[in-house]
Amino acid sequence: MDRETRDMLLDTAGRFFTERCGKEIVNGVEKGIWPADFWKEIEEMGLPLTAVPEDKGGVGGTLADLMAVLRLAGGHAVPVPLAETALAAMLVAAAGGTPKPGPAALALGPLAMAGGRLTGKVERVPFAGPAERFVAIADGMLVVVARANARVTLAPSHAGEPYGTVVFENAPAEFAARSAVTVERARELGALARAMQMAGAADKILATTVEYSKQRVQFGRPISTFQAIQHMLAELASCVAATIASAEAAARDADEGGLADGGSFSIAAAKTQASDFAQRIAALSHQSMGAMGFTHEHILHHYTRRLWVWRRDFGSESFWGEKIGAAVAKAGPPALWPALTESRYAS
Amino acid sequence: MSIPKLEFPPFHLPPEAEALRGEVRAFLKETLPAIKTEDRFASWNTASPDFSKALGRRGWIGITWPKQYGGGERSFLDRYVVTEELLGNGAPAGSHWVADRQSGPLLLRFGSEEQRQAILPRITRGECYFSIGMSEPDSGSDLASVRTRAEPVPGGFRVNGTKVWTSGAHRNHYCITLVRTSGQREDRHKGLSQLLVDLKTPGITIRPIINLAGRHDWNEVTFSDCFIPESCLIGNEGDGWLQVTSELAFERSGPERFMQNFYVLRELVRVLGRQPAKRAGAILGRLVARLWTLRQMSVAVAGMMQGGKSPAIEASLVKDLGTIYQQDLPEIARTLAESDATTEDDMADFLDIAQYATMMAPSYTIQGGTTQVLRGIVARGLGLR
Repeated sequence: MDRETRDMLLDTAGRFFTERCGKEIVNGVEKGIWPADFWKEIEEMGLPLTAVPEDKGGVGGTLADLMAVLRLAGGHAVPVPLAETALAAMLVAAAGGTPKPGPAALALGPLAMAGGRLTGKVERVPFAGPAERFVAIADGMLVVVARANARVTLAPSHAGEPYGTVVFENAPAEFAARSAVTVERARELGALARAMQMAGAADKILATTVEYSKQRVQFGRPISTFQAIQHMLAELASCVAATIASAEAAARDADEGGLADGGSFSIAAAKTQASDFAQRIAALSHQSMGAMGFTHEHILHHYTRRLWVWRRDFGSESFWGEKIGAAVAKAGPPALWPALTESRYAS
Repeated sequence: MSIPKLEFPPFHLPPEAEALRGEVRAFLKETLPAIKTEDRFASWNTASPDFSKALGRRGWIGITWPKQYGGGERSFLDRYVVTEELLGNGAPAGSHWVADRQSGPLLLRFGSEEQRQAILPRITRGECYFSIGMSEPDSGSDLASVRTRAEPVPGGFRVNGTKVWTSGAHRNHYCITLVRTSGQREDRHKGLSQLLVDLKTPGITIRPIINLAGRHDWNEVTFSDCFIPESCLIGNEGDGWLQVTSELAFERSGPERFMQNFYVLRELVRVLGRQPAKRAGAILGRLVARLWTLRQMSVAVAGMMQGGKSPAIEASLVKDLGTIYQQDLPEIARTLAESDATTEDDMADFLDIAQYATMMAPSYTIQGGTTQVLRGIVARGLGLR
C-alpha cells in the first residue's frame, strides 16, 4: 500500500487500540479471559490480513505494512495473537491457500509429515491457548492443523499471555501445500515481528516514564528536573531509539529482499539488539518510576514484562547472536567490514 | 502524551555512493601497505601526511566542497562513504581529518573569500591540517566560559591565553581558536569570536601534554601578546558561539564515534578462529549486531542531514551509544579471548591489543562532548529541561 494508505491504516488502528485495548483487556488476558469481542473487532478491521493479497481476501499490504501495524500493536500491549495470526495468514496465502478467520499460532519446531499427517512437539508456542489452528512447516510443507487435532498444555508466559506446549500425533492437516518459506525463515519472520513489537513497547515505556517524571513531585519539584533522572531518561531514550532504528531497518530489508530470504542478517541483528537492550530499558524505566512502576496497578509492567518475554520468543540474543558470530568467524576478519556495510551474513 | 519522536528512518546510501565505496576500497588496498605509521592499528587520529596527500590526489578530501576551492561538489553521503571506509580499513587519516570534517566546512560557511581561497584548496590536496582551539584549563564542557582574550588593536587582535587538549597542534598548520573579543567571562555566549590562527605565529608556544598511554597527541597552546591580523577573523566578531556550535554538529555525528577501535573486533574474529564455541560466537555476534545498529543509526542521521535537517539530538544519541560501545568492546573482547582464543600466542598478543584499546577508551566519552553533556542535550530534546 502507498504511504498515505498505510498512514491511514495506522491512524485508524492506533485510535482503535487506544480506545479498546485498555488495562482491563490486558489484565483480563493475564487472568485467562479471552477478549473475544476485541479480537472480532481486530478481524473486522482486517488487521490479521494486512499482508495477504486482495485476491485471497486480504488487505493487499506488504510485509513492511504488517510490521508497521505490529510496532503499533506492541505500543499498546495488544494481548492477542495479531502477529502470529497475520504471519500465519501470509504464509498460508503464499503457499496458495486462503486464510481462515480466527486466532492462529505458529508452531515452529522439529515436526515431521508422514502420509499427510503431522507429528512432533513444539514447546512454548505463543498464544497456543486461544489458537483455533496451528500453522507449522515440516518437510518443506506448510501445514495447518485444527486445534481439535492437537494437544495443548498451557504454560502462560511471564507477561501472562497464554503460551503453551503443542503436541501433534498423526494430526490430520486442514490445509497442506508446499511452503514458500523454510521453517528457519518462518522463525526469522517471527523474530522480525517481535523486534517491531519490542520497538513499539520500548517507545511506549519511554513516553510513559518521561510523562511520569514530569508529574511526580519530590523535594518540592518534578523529578524530571533532577539531573540524575534526566540522564537516566536520556540513556533510556538512546536504548529505545536503537531498538526502533534496528527493527525498522530490518523491516525495510526484509520487505525489499522478498519473502524467501530478504533481510536475513538484518533481522538477526535487530532481534539481537532489541533483546540485548530489553533489560536496560526495563531497568532504567523502573528505576525512574520507583515503587509506582513496580505495582500491578500501573501499566508499566504490561510493557516491561513483554520486553522480557519477547526477547526470548523466536530466538533470543544468544540464538541470533550465535548465528551472526558463527558466520563472521567462519568467513574470517577481512569479510567482517564488507558484510557490515552490506547488511548480510559474512561469507 | 507527546514527546518528540526519536526516529532514525532507515536510509539507503545511493548507488553513486556505493560505487564510490568500491573505488575507495581499491585505492586503500593498493595504498595502505606502503604507508608507514607509528601505530600498529591506525585510525582517524593516526597522522600520516603521505596518506593524506595520496587521498587528496584522488579528490577525496573536501569532497562536498565547491570545485572553485578544490572540492568535488559531491554529496554529503559520498563523504560519509569515504569516511567510513577509511575507518573500516584502518587508514591513518589523522592529518587531514579535522580540516575535512569541520574546519573546512566552517570556513566555507563563515569564512571570508580570501580565507577560503587561501586555505581550502590546500586542505583538499591533503597538505594543510587543522587543530581545534576550544577547550581551556578552566573551560571544558562549559565552553562559553573561555578566557582567552583577543583584544582589538590596530590591524588585528592581540591574543593572550591558553588552550589545552589541542590535538596535533605540534604537527598541524592552523588552529581555529575560540576567543573572547569583548565583554567578560560572565557574559557567556556574547562577545566570543573565532580566529584562524597560523600555529607558526610569534607569541605562540606549543607544549606537549602526554596522555595516560604515553602518547603525544594533545598540546597546551599558549598565546602571549600574539598578534593575529584582522583578516584572520572568521565570520563576524561576536558570532563565535553560533559558529562553534555549528562546528560541533559536524564533530559529533560521524562514524568515528563508533568505529575508532574497529580493529579490536576484527582482531577478535582472528583469535577466536573459524569455529568458535557457541557461547563465544554468540558474544561476538552480539557485538556485531550492536555495531550494525550504530551504523544504521549513523547512516540515517547522514540521510537526514543530506535532506536538509539538522538532527542534533539524534547525532548526540549516536555518539553516546557509539562511544559506550567502544568502551565495552575491548573489555568484552579481552575476557572472551582469555577463554576462547585458539592458541596461547594469539591470546597473549590479543590481550595486549585489547589492553591498549581499554587504555585509550576513557577519551571516547570525553572528547567531542562528554556523555553527560550529550545526555543533557537529549534530556532537553525530551522536554525535561
